[in-house]
Amino acid sequence: MLDAFSRAVVSADSKGAPIGSDDLAALRKYVADANKRIDATLAITQNVSCIAADAVAGMVCENTGMTQPGGNCYPTRRMAACLRDGEIILRYVSYALLAGDASVLDDRCLNGLKETYMALGVPIANAVRAVEIMKIATVAIMTETNSGRKMFDGINSGSGAQCKEIAAEAASYFDRVIAAIS
Amino acid sequence: MKSAVTTVVTSADAAGRFPSMSDIEAVRGSFDRAPARMEAAEKLASGLEKLTAEAVDAVYKKGTYDQANKDKCARDINHYLRLINYCLVTGGTGPLDEWGIAGMREVIRAQVLPTAAYIEAFTYIRERVCIPRDMSQQAATEFKGLLDYLINALS
Repeated sequence: MLDAFSRAVVSADSKGAPIGSDDLAALRKYVADANKRIDATLAITQNVSCIAADAVAGMVCENTGMTQPGGNCYPTRRMAACLRDGEIILRYVSYALLAGDASVLDDRCLNGLKETYMALGVPIANAVRAVEIMKIATVAIMTETNSGRKMFDGINSGSGAQCKEIAAEAASYFDRVIAAIS
Repeated sequence: MKSAVTTVVTSADAAGRFPSMSDIEAVRGSFDRAPARMEAAEKLASGLEKLTAEAVDAVYKKGTYDQANKDKCARDINHYLRLINYCLVTGGTGPLDEWGIAGMREVIRAQVLPTAAYIEAFTYIRERVCIPRDMSQQAATEFKGLLDYLINALS
């Protein structure tokens, strides 16, 4: 597992060169944005159930057959498994976001996920839709563009608009999930 | 690769939980120290060749060690300083542990090189760091901490 720092180290080592001013500029930005990154992570961790439940509910609303007998979310045991998977994906996205690198998501969550879903008969198109809704909800909470109240307590007193770049990074991790299971 | 963030994420993942407030505080602490570490890394990277040459000259001019080993010693000192540069960037001893210290003694011994010369060279570098000419106080503390770590591993 790598983070933004160790990613720079691994690529410098392959060249056998020390890490100089040029590479450090990108890392300085990562450090300068630390508070925003922490806030964005908190935006996920404080709203996990909400994001996952909304996404699964949205997916079911668009395909009402899923909760009927014969549907993939029937009985509740399978619906619960679906909610659990939503939370697991959110957990690895939160790790990747904190680390500033997708390796933890790739190695520990996405590697083999598609094969697992196919073996279990999970409908991929619906799973992709649920991840899409999670992405939209997460970005909205982070940037405070959700309608209504602010949904998390951050350590940074700045506004959600300042989290735009980090939210875009989070969105890219969800896109990675979608790409991996599609 | 071990760093402050990956350590936190590994333990959170082992317990299957989201990053907690104390995890986030730990990460934040490492971010707070990062500017000093990066300053040290930057200064070290720009002066790495010069520092190596100076340290090796200082150790070998005394005539205690076989001059034939001087080039090899310089090559290794350069390598270790590069790993220290990486450690300063990651904020942990991961690069030194994984790429420098594991098997180090065996390799040095197999080449019949004197470890004492390395220790002297690193001690020289440690003593030579001048504040604030070379780097700031905090940066020097981070740098010297890693030099001490390496010296201990060698002795």
